[in-house]
Amino acid sequence: MPETAAATQVQTGTTTRELTYTEALREALRQAMEADERVFLMGEDVGTYGGAFGVSAGLIDQFGPERVRDTPISEAAIAGACLGAALTGMRPVGEIQFMDFVTLSMEQLVLQAAKVRFMFGGKAQAPFVLRMPGGAGTGAAAQHSESLESWFVHVPGLKVVMPSNAYDAKGLLLAAIDDDNPVIFIEHKLLYKTKAHVPEEMYRVPLSRTAVAREGSDLTVIATSLHVQRALEAADTLAEEGIELEVVDPRTLKPLDEGPIVESVKKTGKALIVHEAPITGGYGAELAARIAASEAFDYLDAPIRRLAGLDIPIPYNRMLEYNTVPQVENIVEEARKLVEGAY
Amino acid sequence: MAKAIIMPKFGFTQEESTIVAWLKNEGDVVEKGDPIAEVTTDKIDMEVEAPADGILGGIRRQAGETVPVTEVIAYILAEGEEPPPPEETPAETPVADSSPSAAPAPPAAADATPVARRVAEAEGVDLAAVAGSGPGGKITRQDVESHVAGRVLAPSDEGNGRVRATPAARRVARERGIDLAAVEGTGPRGRVQEADALAAVERAAPSVVPTPAPVPAGEVEVIPLEGMRKTIADRMQQSYQQAPHITLTRDIDMTNAVAFRRYANDRLPEGAPRISMTALIVKAAAWALREYPIMNAHLIDDAIYLMPNVNVGVAVALDGGLIVPVVHDADRRGLREVGAAVADLAARAREARLRPGDLDGGTFTVSNLGMLGIDHFTAILNPPEVGILAVGRTTDRFVPGERGEPVAKPIMTVTLAVDHRAVDGALGAHFLAALCDAIEEPASIIL
Repeated sequence: MPETAAATQVQTGTTTRELTYTEALREALRQAMEADERVFLMGEDVGTYGGAFGVSAGLIDQFGPERVRDTPISEAAIAGACLGAALTGMRPVGEIQFMDFVTLSMEQLVLQAAKVRFMFGGKAQAPFVLRMPGGAGTGAAAQHSESLESWFVHVPGLKVVMPSNAYDAKGLLLAAIDDDNPVIFIEHKLLYKTKAHVPEEMYRVPLSRTAVAREGSDLTVIATSLHVQRALEAADTLAEEGIELEVVDPRTLKPLDEGPIVESVKKTGKALIVHEAPITGGYGAELAARIAASEAFDYLDAPIRRLAGLDIPIPYNRMLEYNTVPQVENIVEEARKLVEGAY
Repeated sequence: MAKAIIMPKFGFTQEESTIVAWLKNEGDVVEKGDPIAEVTTDKIDMEVEAPADGILGGIRRQAGETVPVTEVIAYILAEGEEPPPPEETPAETPVADSSPSAAPAPPAAADATPVARRVAEAEGVDLAAVAGSGPGGKITRQDVESHVAGRVLAPSDEGNGRVRATPAARRVARERGIDLAAVEGTGPRGRVQEADALAAVERAAPSVVPTPAPVPAGEVEVIPLEGMRKTIADRMQQSYQQAPHITLTRDIDMTNAVAFRRYANDRLPEGAPRISMTALIVKAAAWALREYPIMNAHLIDDAIYLMPNVNVGVAVALDGGLIVPVVHDADRRGLREVGAAVADLAARAREARLRPGDLDGGTFTVSNLGMLGIDHFTAILNPPEVGILAVGRTTDRFVPGERGEPVAKPIMTVTLAVDHRAVDGALGAHFLAALCDAIEEPASIIL
């Protein structure tokens, strides 16, 4: 049975409050640091300033500057220090202010962190999490709005997580901190203020467990991060027309739990993949290939379609930016065309 | 048509070359690849090769001249062909205003964006047929793509025999045994959708017939219909569908036959094959067939062929199959010989040592399941034969005696199936009566 976020919530949620995505992440960090003194934070202005998006606000007051460490403005240093600390037995959580600047960390992440367990035959491990906000929609232009998840998905040895709501954000972050591998934890700027019911206790959402965010019969929409929310909004709109979307959220992009995706496409016979990153070489290509190669192939009644960012840098102009990445109305239109047999 | 020889470009930055020498002369026959001129750049000496077979002609630049790259320096001509006049330079990109009269006037140019023109060319779309939606009715790329998407395929596009269908439609066709080529598609450009295939299944199978559940994968052993199984399947289906069977059943008092068989077997030499009840029935059938030639016949197409020889086949069960070796001339051979033949054929059939002649020429068939405890059954005709006798077991049954008292007698039930196209019920009944008489009074068949 595909796990739904709602079902998990019912099972575990004894003391539930509405928290924002930011608050849920902060609670996960606080609880992890309280539970395990090996867990500590590093990043640019994560201390007194509380991080570029306020995720670590106040934590320095509770845990002090030893465990909430401001770093120089060097993403290579953040990633490298995380790896080094992890190798010596710590469980660091690093923060990159904007995902765009993780490009400066690539050597540490791709050549070192991803490979260390392999190259030491399993005798060394790198249990750290690198958090970073990606995505457009804030008018931050080409160098502060990227969605680079596919870069990491392509690297063996890295896990890639993209929570789409506050509940998953907390549970996935705690699971990522528990994990003995480097985990690239990609948040979305436009999700920070979204709210969900979040249990107070220290629950985990296991990595590599795809969720069905909404059940439906006419079309499977596989979306990531913010676009799960946009797909759910689109599903509400289309439900009024009698079109039922099933919205599937991989949550962990790698390693992918493809079973629920395949099952869903077998049920609906149609698949639409939605993500914000540019379409060419994007994660949607991987999903489409997996579906086409799976037993769901024999159930496809239309081409697998992708709705994704344009192959251009994110523009500064708000109108251009808006039209560069998929919006709710784009999902509605594309889903309707697929269901109505336009392709 | 004259083939231009241009000054080749050997390097990225090279703009001109100097002809050092012509290696061939005007009028020389050259083959493609032949060196025809030696040229030099500021870096390298190279040979210019003939771009085609033909005659070198129209040399326009002489040794010592420096020539820009891509400029025509000569032509390869066909026999008797003149080189084109200098102003027509095929190697140069024709520029519209440089030769206004040379090219036929282009068709009234539809106003289209450059990318729309490129897509149209690639897709073989006539822009005149595309409605433009851009500023001032300009045709955009999207207009061309929409046109392509909505274009009805010419029959030639379907000429490859491939059916456009979604994977889901193909799965339905595979599982439910329908031919997608016969299904009308309602999807884009006539593609067959799953719903189309399901509708075709619905039409093919009236709703009163339950559709078979898909075979669960991995649990069922599949035995393909091939070899003997295929032969049996084809022949029995053909017979059952084409031959209208009449079945006629009689009980036979086997008192005398049982006694006769015991008497005969008691007198056979040690080691000689015993006379089976099947052999006795074969012999009796052969006798009756001689009396009723219409039963000793083949029905093929629109004719009944009365066969000159009485060749009685005996159905022999095998592992996974069935075979009918034939006792030839059973009417002319003695009971002992027929008995030996039946025993020999059955044994060799089970050992798969039958020879082709053993299976040929049957005119009637006896199928005996008595030894398996079957009381009576009906058999399917073995085409092109017109009769088959299904033999049940012999058991003691109470029958009325002379004063109506119950008397236990060995009784055997036989069922004759005849092809009604050749044999009517009454005739079949007469034949069956004769056959039964022969079994009940076995002495008659050795007369």
